[in-house]
Amino acid sequence: MPTPERIPAQAQVDEAIDWLVKLRFDDPSAHHQQQFQHWLHSHPHNALAWQRVNSLGNELAGLPPDLSRRTLEGSQRQRMSRRNNLKLLVAFAVVGGALWTAREPLGLPALMADSRTATGERRDLQGSDGSRIQLNTASAIDLRYSADQRLLTLIRGEVSLDSNASDNRTFHIDTAIADMDTRNGQLLLRENDDGLLLAVRRGEVLLFPSSARPRWVKTGEVLQVSASGQTEVAALHGDPWGWTDGVLSVQQMPLGEFVAELSRYRPGLLRCAPEVAGLRVSGTYQLADTEQILLLIARSLPVRLDYRTRYWVSIDAA
Amino acid sequence: MQMNDMLKPAEVDLLYQAHHAWLRSWLRARVGCREHAADLAQDTFVRLLRARQVSPLKEPRAYLSSVARGLMIDQFRRRALERAYQESLACLPEGEAPSEEHRLVILDTLERLDRALQLLKPRVRQAFLLAQLDGLSIPQIAAHLEVSRATVERDLARALGTCYRLRYADA
Repeated sequence: MPTPERIPAQAQVDEAIDWLVKLRFDDPSAHHQQQFQHWLHSHPHNALAWQRVNSLGNELAGLPPDLSRRTLEGSQRQRMSRRNNLKLLVAFAVVGGALWTAREPLGLPALMADSRTATGERRDLQGSDGSRIQLNTASAIDLRYSADQRLLTLIRGEVSLDSNASDNRTFHIDTAIADMDTRNGQLLLRENDDGLLLAVRRGEVLLFPSSARPRWVKTGEVLQVSASGQTEVAALHGDPWGWTDGVLSVQQMPLGEFVAELSRYRPGLLRCAPEVAGLRVSGTYQLADTEQILLLIARSLPVRLDYRTRYWVSIDAA
Repeated sequence: MQMNDMLKPAEVDLLYQAHHAWLRSWLRARVGCREHAADLAQDTFVRLLRARQVSPLKEPRAYLSSVARGLMIDQFRRRALERAYQESLACLPEGEAPSEEHRLVILDTLERLDRALQLLKPRVRQAFLLAQLDGLSIPQIAAHLEVSRATVERDLARALGTCYRLRYADA
């Protein structure tokens, strides 16, 4: 077991790394060299951090450049082709399953490709396995069933899946950001500017973020997943599930964010002046009538609605 | 780090007795080979002995399969890297191939570098490779990427920070 004294603190490691950058990749002046020597000997922790950082630097510098570059590129190519192969396998499994069951008239698999919604539209779908799928505004999914698996692909937008747990096939969920498996989960997926929002309401979901360890996401968790595979607890100003009941339910949401949220459900332009973007909105609003929501906002906050045209509404300070 | 942050060997032993057979068949269904599955199951428990675990496991099978899946991915990465290394060697002039002993050091370092690169933003990755493998200096990289020297210095420090964490994570 290493004792605490032998592990350098992060601050010292950071300083050592800055020195490594200067000394190895720059042309250090005599002055810099002197400063470095001074830093190195001013504290034993500095020397310890330097010892580790420098040996890391030596390892990297010992890599044969040409061979290393080719190897890294080659391994990346292989990983990508493996991913594509997996996609192909899934496609074949679906086709294979379809052909197999087509010979048995009773087991015809539902093949619902390209379910999509327009702006402002929401759709409720029933999978042949008894799962319930809801599509929010401006969204698209593919849904496939084969003999041994269920596959939902989120192409864009937002979807909620209430998987039928009595069906024991695994439900695979593919998105551009991360893939997931579940058997009994009720979950919500939403593409956003920062990647993907994942909320689990029931059961559990095994999340495979890109280039990070898979992890279980449990009932009640709401995570933001980035394209690079980082996950963090999502900061929310409302109930992400609201739309599945036809409402926008928010708490202390900045008006700017509220307007951006609302504009997902409305064709045309909806703008919010910066002076009022920080005002807070709370309440539950019926999504069926976004015009009514705007009127309610204008009544409860010091703002006025400026209708440039029917499809261009600006919210300004009153 | 305190000892009680880790699963005690006796706990791992209990987990082993209760779930080892299950894990082996879980793995076998995924890798399609009995021997390979047995090795991976063994590695999973070895990893468990080393892992820091604050609370007792509530759902041991979910945890075990998650660790095992990570190992499967690691193994695949390593094999892909080794294959790419062999292919790259074939492109090198004879006599420039590293010794067998050196080969393992290079592969270990490349494996970590490969993982680090995937965690970095494209510009940081590019700057780091230009510095580390192409031997460009900071002013040269700054000119090439059309960014300031300070940005390049920050990018390189960030890349090295990621390499450092991967290098000393298990220590």
